[in-house]
Amino acid sequence: MNFDRLELDESTRAFCGEVFDFLDEHLTEEVHQEEWETGAGHNVAFHKALGERGWILPTWPEENGGAGLGSLEAAILERELAVRYAPTITKGTTTLVLSAVVRSGGDDLKEEVLPGVASGDICFCLGYTEPDVGSDLAAVKTRAIRDGDEWIVDGQKMFTTGAQNCQYAFLVTRTNPDVAKHKGITMFLCPLDGVEIQAVHTLGGERTNMVFFDSHRIDDRYRLGEVDKGWEILMGPLNAEHGMGDGDRPELEQRGGMYGGANVEALRVAIEWAHDLESDGGCPADDPSTRRRLARVALDLEAMSCAPGPMGRIISSEYFIRDAADLIDLVGARGLLERGEHGSVGNGWLEYCHRFAQGTATYGGTTEVHRNIVAERMLGLPRSSR
Amino acid sequence: MTATESPRQADFSLEADQESVRDTFSAFFSRESPVSLVRECEPSGFDSDLWAKLSDLRVIAMAVPTAQGGDGAGWVDLVLLTEQWGRTLAPIPLAESIVATRAVAAGGADVPGEWLESAIAGERLLTFAHHPAVPGKPQLVQAGAVADAVVALVEDHLVLASSESELAIVRNQGRTPMAWWEIAGPETDSVVLASGARARELFAAAKREWRLLMAGALVGMTKGALDIALAHARDRVAFGVPIGSFQAVAHPLVDVAMDLEMARRITWKAAWWADRDPACEHQLIPMAYLFAEEAAVRSATVGVHTLGGVGFTVEADEQLFFRRAKGWTLMAGDPLAELDVIADFVLGSIRDNGALLGVPA
Repeated sequence: MNFDRLELDESTRAFCGEVFDFLDEHLTEEVHQEEWETGAGHNVAFHKALGERGWILPTWPEENGGAGLGSLEAAILERELAVRYAPTITKGTTTLVLSAVVRSGGDDLKEEVLPGVASGDICFCLGYTEPDVGSDLAAVKTRAIRDGDEWIVDGQKMFTTGAQNCQYAFLVTRTNPDVAKHKGITMFLCPLDGVEIQAVHTLGGERTNMVFFDSHRIDDRYRLGEVDKGWEILMGPLNAEHGMGDGDRPELEQRGGMYGGANVEALRVAIEWAHDLESDGGCPADDPSTRRRLARVALDLEAMSCAPGPMGRIISSEYFIRDAADLIDLVGARGLLERGEHGSVGNGWLEYCHRFAQGTATYGGTTEVHRNIVAERMLGLPRSSR
Repeated sequence: MTATESPRQADFSLEADQESVRDTFSAFFSRESPVSLVRECEPSGFDSDLWAKLSDLRVIAMAVPTAQGGDGAGWVDLVLLTEQWGRTLAPIPLAESIVATRAVAAGGADVPGEWLESAIAGERLLTFAHHPAVPGKPQLVQAGAVADAVVALVEDHLVLASSESELAIVRNQGRTPMAWWEIAGPETDSVVLASGARARELFAAAKREWRLLMAGALVGMTKGALDIALAHARDRVAFGVPIGSFQAVAHPLVDVAMDLEMARRITWKAAWWADRDPACEHQLIPMAYLFAEEAAVRSATVGVHTLGGVGFTVEADEQLFFRRAKGWTLMAGDPLAELDVIADFVLGSIRDNGALLGVPA
């Protein structure tokens, strides 16, 4: 058991300094403003700047476009990006898919994409769910039909976040409709040239997409793993997204859980608000009921920081939803004011969190699906009748 | 985060000796305090044989610093101990007697040696009054009907008071040996452990320590009640399938399992900091206590309802947890009052240094 700060040696401290300097230089107010306007979860210039440092694949050797960092340095980098709220959604999907590409892609495919991934020129999005699929990923209908050395893809993907900035989608297709639903799936790293991408905007201000494949032809070299064996390929990245990733990284505190950056900031903003003096000389922080509610959010943040794996995924979004609603209530009408408006609280942060939090319960599979995962895999309950 | 501040670790793994503490007491309580014993000891909620067996293991001594004649175990070890106590609902007032004995040990030179030695050895059972005593006004004291003496704050003094007569058990929902106790002030033959600021400091420490120990016990209760409900959900067949396959049954159990995991981890973290630097991360003890209290109540409540009609009968062991989740704690007052303590840390700290719980200013 250990909750101390890490004792960093000189070279790691120097590395921290490099990270801070880098972020001060590249994660500018303009980058944040662009993200606020586009909701893209990605900034091309910032992403390429990361690539130039080898920080998209930080633990990869330098000759492969990485930075040769140890797992501790990589964890520090990732944590700092999260704490500063860098737009890294597309970086996240890209690296999530990468392990499957490395494991199951052919040599010519790897040659085609890996250098570009490392440099920031190539990004991957998740071509997972569909309008009629929701969280039941194995029910996908997008068809891939073989035609010699090519495949013809027809169908529609939904919530393909980042597609407009990506060159490839990690695509779940049905190649055999006549067998059990998990058994007829094939995975592709599908080039997105010529594919129709339509923007879908969310309550949280994010941009995601619908992507339409209309007799989209792709070479067989974009296939990952064997035909009809796609479900196994998919499980690696899916488990990582569900919070059941590898245990090799140093255990660093993730304050406030998965969406901690937003959540911790929301409490900080509310506490700052609570200390604003009112005309009678008092402040909200003197009110016992306000104090209790802020304390409850602080307790939630501590609990979220402590929740492991798929539990953490559920808790960090459900507490976030509850706390965001409570904090905006506490602040009242000023809490509704948007970023940049006169009199807004925390420059609109609570207003933003109150909307943004809702989507977090769906990302990577809904919290209900994750409850099934906990029930079946961790508590030994019988498989749910769904 | 400034350039000088490095990330915090979140390593919740137990050391080998901590695992052995957990395993030893898990085995001990499972063996010596089966649910049949818990039932046999109702309504008094006390078993003197079990108390004697724990004394043989020097359990109270574990909690007293070596400089004061104890064996000096750390807080992590102690919450691992109380988790197993709570999991089995063992009928002994462990948390009260530990904090009372620690207060006596810290009280110093004026404490008659035989009191301290016999309390550490478990020959005399001490308990603790959670609220400042008012002369002439009895207060409910946990384990008051079985304790030899009570540690209490009376006016400006921390005293060790015994009762002239045996006190009757007041029947209560938690099936604990509580009693109305009119605690005598220092002018009588009570032993004065400390006065003035020192007395208030020791009293506050005892209240804090009790909450930490009880957080462990409540984690154990959460686990004990959840295990019963999970077993039922796996085995009980209705509408042709095990009821645990219904999400309406399974998901509330998942919520309890999540509460359990978080409650345990906050408690361990609070205990680790109490060992490491008691002046640091103080908000963790009220956080752990409140979170674990709510987890235990939820676990017992969800459990009773998972068992359906049977869960509401006295035959069901789940009701034993339901009674005690509140029955072992309410002596200390409204659990939600912990939020006021947490607020003092959370809202105080931003005025002090602009930083909250490690969040960058």
